[in-house]
Amino acid sequence: MQKYKMPIGRLRMMVCLIGMLLPMCMFAQQIIVQGVVKDQTGETVIGASVMEKGTTNGTITGIDGDFSLNMSPNGTLVVSFVGYKTQEVQVKGQKQLQVVLSEDAEMLDEVVVIGYGTMKKSDLTGAVSSIGNKDIKDSPVSNLGQAIQGKISGVQIVDAGKPGDNVSIKIRGLGSINNCDPLVVIDGVPTDLGLSSLNMADVERLDVLKDASATAIYGSRGANGVVMITTKRGTEGKGKLAVSANYSFQNATNVPSLLNAAQYAELSNDMMVNSGRNPNPEWANPSELGAGTDWMDELLRTGVMQNYTVSYSGGNEKSHYYVSGGFLDQSGIVKSVNYRRFTFQSNSDAQVLKWLKFSNNITFSADTKKSGSYNIGDALKALPIYPVKNEDGSWSGPDGNSEWYGSTRNPIGPTELNKSQTDGYNFLANLTAELTFTKWLKFKSTFGYDAKFWFIDNFTPKYNWKPTPTEETSRYKSDNKSFTYLWDNYFLFDHTFAEKHRVGLMAGMSAQWNTNDYLNAQKNVFMFDNVHEMDNGEEMYAIGGNETEWALLSYMARVNYSYEDRYLLTATIRRDGSSRFGKKHRWGTFPSVSVAWRTSQEKWFPKNDYINDLKVRAGYGVTGSQASVGNYSYLASYNTSVYPFGISSGNQTALVSSTLANPYIHWEEVAQTNIGFDTSLFNSRVMFSFDAYLKETRDMLVKASIPITSGFEDTTTTYTNAGKVRNQGIEMSLHTINLTGELGWETNLTATYNKNKIKDLNSDVPYYINQINNSYVTMLAKDYPINVFYGYVTDGIFQNQSEVNTHAVQPGAEPGDIRFRDLNNDGVINDSDRTVIGNPNPSWLFSMNNSLSYKGFELSVFLQGIAGNKIYNANNIDNTGMAAAYNQTIDVLERWQGEGTSNSMPRAVFGDPNQNTRVSDRFVENGSYLRLKNITLSYTFPKQWLQKARIENARLSLSCENVATITGYSGFDPEVGINGIDQNRYPISRTFSVGLNFNF
Amino acid sequence: MIDSDMKKITNLLYMLAVLLLASCSDFLDKSPKNTVDPETTVTDDVAIALTNACYRTLQSSNMYNQRIWTLDIVAGNSLVGAGGGTDGLETIQASNFITQSDNGMALYMWRSPWVGIGQCNIVLNSLLEAEAVSERIKNRCLGEAYFLRAHYYYVLVRLYGGVPLRLAPYNPGEPTDIARATVEETYAQIISDCKNAVDLLPAKSSYDDENVGRACKDAALAMLADIYLTLAPNHTEYYQEVSDLCDEITNLGYDLSSCKYEDNFDALVNNEPESLFEVQYSGNTEYDFWGNNPQSSWLSTFMGPRNSDFVAGSYGWNQPTEEFVGQYESGDKRKDLTVLYAGCPDFDGKAYKSSYSNTGYNVRKFLVSKTVSPEYNTNPANFVVYRYADVLLKKAEALNEMGHSDQAAVPLNIVRKRAGLPEVSGLSQETMREKIIHERRMELAFEGHRWFDMIRVNNGEYAIKFLHSIGKSNVNKNRLLFPIPQTEMDANTLMVQNPGY
Repeated sequence: MQKYKMPIGRLRMMVCLIGMLLPMCMFAQQIIVQGVVKDQTGETVIGASVMEKGTTNGTITGIDGDFSLNMSPNGTLVVSFVGYKTQEVQVKGQKQLQVVLSEDAEMLDEVVVIGYGTMKKSDLTGAVSSIGNKDIKDSPVSNLGQAIQGKISGVQIVDAGKPGDNVSIKIRGLGSINNCDPLVVIDGVPTDLGLSSLNMADVERLDVLKDASATAIYGSRGANGVVMITTKRGTEGKGKLAVSANYSFQNATNVPSLLNAAQYAELSNDMMVNSGRNPNPEWANPSELGAGTDWMDELLRTGVMQNYTVSYSGGNEKSHYYVSGGFLDQSGIVKSVNYRRFTFQSNSDAQVLKWLKFSNNITFSADTKKSGSYNIGDALKALPIYPVKNEDGSWSGPDGNSEWYGSTRNPIGPTELNKSQTDGYNFLANLTAELTFTKWLKFKSTFGYDAKFWFIDNFTPKYNWKPTPTEETSRYKSDNKSFTYLWDNYFLFDHTFAEKHRVGLMAGMSAQWNTNDYLNAQKNVFMFDNVHEMDNGEEMYAIGGNETEWALLSYMARVNYSYEDRYLLTATIRRDGSSRFGKKHRWGTFPSVSVAWRTSQEKWFPKNDYINDLKVRAGYGVTGSQASVGNYSYLASYNTSVYPFGISSGNQTALVSSTLANPYIHWEEVAQTNIGFDTSLFNSRVMFSFDAYLKETRDMLVKASIPITSGFEDTTTTYTNAGKVRNQGIEMSLHTINLTGELGWETNLTATYNKNKIKDLNSDVPYYINQINNSYVTMLAKDYPINVFYGYVTDGIFQNQSEVNTHAVQPGAEPGDIRFRDLNNDGVINDSDRTVIGNPNPSWLFSMNNSLSYKGFELSVFLQGIAGNKIYNANNIDNTGMAAAYNQTIDVLERWQGEGTSNSMPRAVFGDPNQNTRVSDRFVENGSYLRLKNITLSYTFPKQWLQKARIENARLSLSCENVATITGYSGFDPEVGINGIDQNRYPISRTFSVGLNFNF
Repeated sequence: MIDSDMKKITNLLYMLAVLLLASCSDFLDKSPKNTVDPETTVTDDVAIALTNACYRTLQSSNMYNQRIWTLDIVAGNSLVGAGGGTDGLETIQASNFITQSDNGMALYMWRSPWVGIGQCNIVLNSLLEAEAVSERIKNRCLGEAYFLRAHYYYVLVRLYGGVPLRLAPYNPGEPTDIARATVEETYAQIISDCKNAVDLLPAKSSYDDENVGRACKDAALAMLADIYLTLAPNHTEYYQEVSDLCDEITNLGYDLSSCKYEDNFDALVNNEPESLFEVQYSGNTEYDFWGNNPQSSWLSTFMGPRNSDFVAGSYGWNQPTEEFVGQYESGDKRKDLTVLYAGCPDFDGKAYKSSYSNTGYNVRKFLVSKTVSPEYNTNPANFVVYRYADVLLKKAEALNEMGHSDQAAVPLNIVRKRAGLPEVSGLSQETMREKIIHERRMELAFEGHRWFDMIRVNNGEYAIKFLHSIGKSNVNKNRLLFPIPQTEMDANTLMVQNPGY
């Protein structure tokens, strides 16, 4: 139960070495049988055990899969290797043999990491999905999160785009209108460390606990799923040195085409005339302006990413070590964005005494994120009519009448002058003592320490920007620290009674506590731009700081029971006490139970090659989420503020009661039911898993309905546990081995369907959120999915005045303007004519990976996509609005310019009297996409080439990420945030990469 | 060996258990470190700090930093201007008298006075019983809280009519629903609080340099005069009270002839001799400009002509109408100090262009040079709520309404004289009434008085007549009150909407 599946390569080597140490037994009247052991893909199997049946005579295959054994000519060879079916070969006097091992039902033998322990996949009763290092090793990305995108059913991952920023992970839909990120556990320590601080090369496996029976062991933090990350450990055998190097180029996947200067000038004239304004006399002949400046082109560049890792590992039967160092340097595709990361991993374990084992994991990362001061929106809006720099070398910018020349600051200047940098230092360490009392009883105590420091440093020099200057040089620094301590103590019991009843027990406690503090300050007015330390600032602008704390105390237990490996039961319970809640509401109990039936283990189940394994699972559990609860929101308190009095306006302290505390607040709860099955078919060449779930979130935190007359400033920030959300869906994953032999071909398919609905919000009044240009785009309302877009419905373009006249009263409308539907038929177009115009939540997530192998070549082609979701293209509000002096996309060239010229793109009119840019389905686009996410071609050099250089293994890979995307979406990329609003997002990159791996 | 090892383990486990149990009891007790426990003993310092919090709401954009002066837009003195689109849409709707209950202006103006009232209730509740507070501080703090509670209710009652009377702090768990009191009941409470304030507060002149700016007896008298003047059309006996209260203020040592008009709006002159009560700003940037207690005044930032770069910010709000500017009598010195118009004296060395504004005019009164306020959030100018010129005009109005039109001319002429205008005399009561309301409009322009003046004169008939005359045909008697905001209607089941909404 406590064993991980060891990576095949390492095991081979280990076993090989053991084999060499074994005394060779010699017998008379025997022949020497020589042979090669290969797997179905034609690759030689190193370290396979080759035994003469019924004897202790045996050997281990060598580095080329070869073996040589003195044995009886009539004997039978038993060839076995972990992960493969044991095969018997009758020698019948042959002296040359080729043995092909077929893979065992691999997935079923895998050991997965669950909370406070591990479990054989075949014993699982809950929904857990896993990814091993081999599934991610070739992704040319910097963040583990990006590498697992699309690979796990039920898990939606959205890339942040910007180097060093974290992906968002949502498991089984949005469980709450509040924070619904999963809990991340790294080597057993729950942490809020971002995945970006890990070196992917150090990650052995990643397990995602999805259903409540799997996550309930994390109680009040398990509601949104748990991501368990396990880093690599050393294995017995000779030391192993691995070096990998990766070099990539990156570009934006797509850049919207914008108007050039001549096209813009013409549009501007049109916009002016249509609004009764004077066109710019200098632009009487627009074509004179030529192409002008392409600001997006100026802002974007080819990014370069370099990634190097050196690791060494090894061990003996009593102790193991794995140590690695990594370096990653990335220049973003946006000028001024740079990312640099150093990572260190040191894992070791030692059986110090017969009954005492220690193990530890240390992860350290230091990163620097430089983002400068870029603004995608400004680069899209800046007019092409002025150059990047003036003739005198100063940064150009709009000057003069803002209706003609705009008021968007030069988008390139600030990327060079302003500095914005975050330095992060993350240290995650744990030390575990494992006491073995008897074969069946162990005690584990883990102390974990998670220290994070991050330092924000912004510098903005004064500059006479047009049209609005930066008047004063300013420097802002923020120093932040967060320390989390963890102490887990638990017993593990594992015993089989009467050879039929296997009982596993885990029981223990966990205490975790955190302190977080910050100090920030800003000074303004510096005499010299290049002398701008805090000491040099003349004016204290602001200074602030605070410390917060939380603590969590838990007791947990789990029972695993299995009867003859046929009937499996898992029951867990966790009792959590949280400092975030008042004394009376502090403790909560989170139970779960799940059962599985391995139908194929039944005696009556026909033994055949069609169905090799079948397991049916069902489970139910209750979990919680306290991620959205403030540290002290249950507590009434006075905040300190100020009010100035006196001749010199001196501030005096004011004690303010600003928020109504809710002493009854507690966690959000999720009750989840899961049913599923896993099966292995056709000689284990087809493996299929299916899960269906119903996830009911209750006690969701929603805004309490507090009258303003109660007298509190923040009547909108008091929350109460009153909302309900439902997610239901299905998940499928299919793994097939299509071809074996020299040419190998395997396919992985995943598909996920999820439907999300708000069942209750404590009020029939919807919440409107995500304000853009003073209008709310998103609505949260009962009986609708979370985050739906809410606005007007367009109905073509008014082609002439009589169409305007016959339509409902739409103030400001003229021919060429958008006709909005009068949904309530009251003859007036107003707020009441808004409706739900799109759902940003995908209903389907799917992916397909094909990997082909031939000799040393491997090719994998990974497709990934989502469907059923909409995107609100908020960039287009300004970029196709034709209502202000902003540059526009070339779509506006098809605008209405007279009756019959367009029925979708309205006229250009400055000031937008008809509010053509109001929130409407005009900006809602289909967000479905199918992406050729990754193609990787790799070549493993033949061993004979390498032996002289003492290289055990060398591999060259060529990879391309985000190769091509089929989508109807017109913006940069359909991969936008979870809320579906695309505004000023850092563009997603396409990456070309070359990688080299050596093992010594 | 194993046995002795096992013993060690057993001991270790026992120690662990003891450790864990011992630490459990308070392990989960974490309290915030940057806030104060409401159970703290109320000393002089705590009493003062709690009282200071009652003032903060005045600084909010929901009150004097924006919404109160934008009532001049509703009153027809000016247009929103602003940046177009939905910027200022709520104010445009209000000024066209087409608001619904979801109107932002109605919501914002409703919100902040209640926060102030809540804070005043905390002071009144915790001070009445406090034993560790000196008598002087206790009386002063109680006086300030009574004054401010009266003021917040007075703002509410004029904007929304009778409102719920919440006179004690709200405690979690109590029912939040509360019904409206009548207009009369609301005013009775306001007058009672205001009289308490008059009794308890020290005179402005008795405050030291650090504390001047606190509510004072002078301000309480001025507010009481204002309340009586508002109620007087239906209680004519109050005119005498108004006149007496104004005299009482004059006797505290006020003399308009020694006060400069422009000093009232000068960012560098705080709590000047003419003012009785000001909302205080420090220009301190440490507090969120867009938040609930900006320590910087919004007025210059918002009213600077758009794209002119005259002042930091320059969002172009509040553009005076042609009709308003046309009301200046020739020779009125206040015109050049109040509005920017083509050909007006340069501002900070920059010439004004009428293209900066839709109407051709911008408000100049509150603009603060970049040499004083270099950034949008650094303006330390106080906002004057009550000043002596207003007191004089109230007195004139009261005297005229009592039939003493000749006597009314005396205080009126003090104000006119400072403006460089000729004295008036021998006017009929009706002409005098027009003259006084006109004088109030010009003297107090954009200071947030016009709307309240219009709806009190002639019980609001004046407002309807005037607004109709400038083309605002949607206005009717119901529209002189704002709607109760929808969020309050939704959360408070006992709340009743105003008629016509």
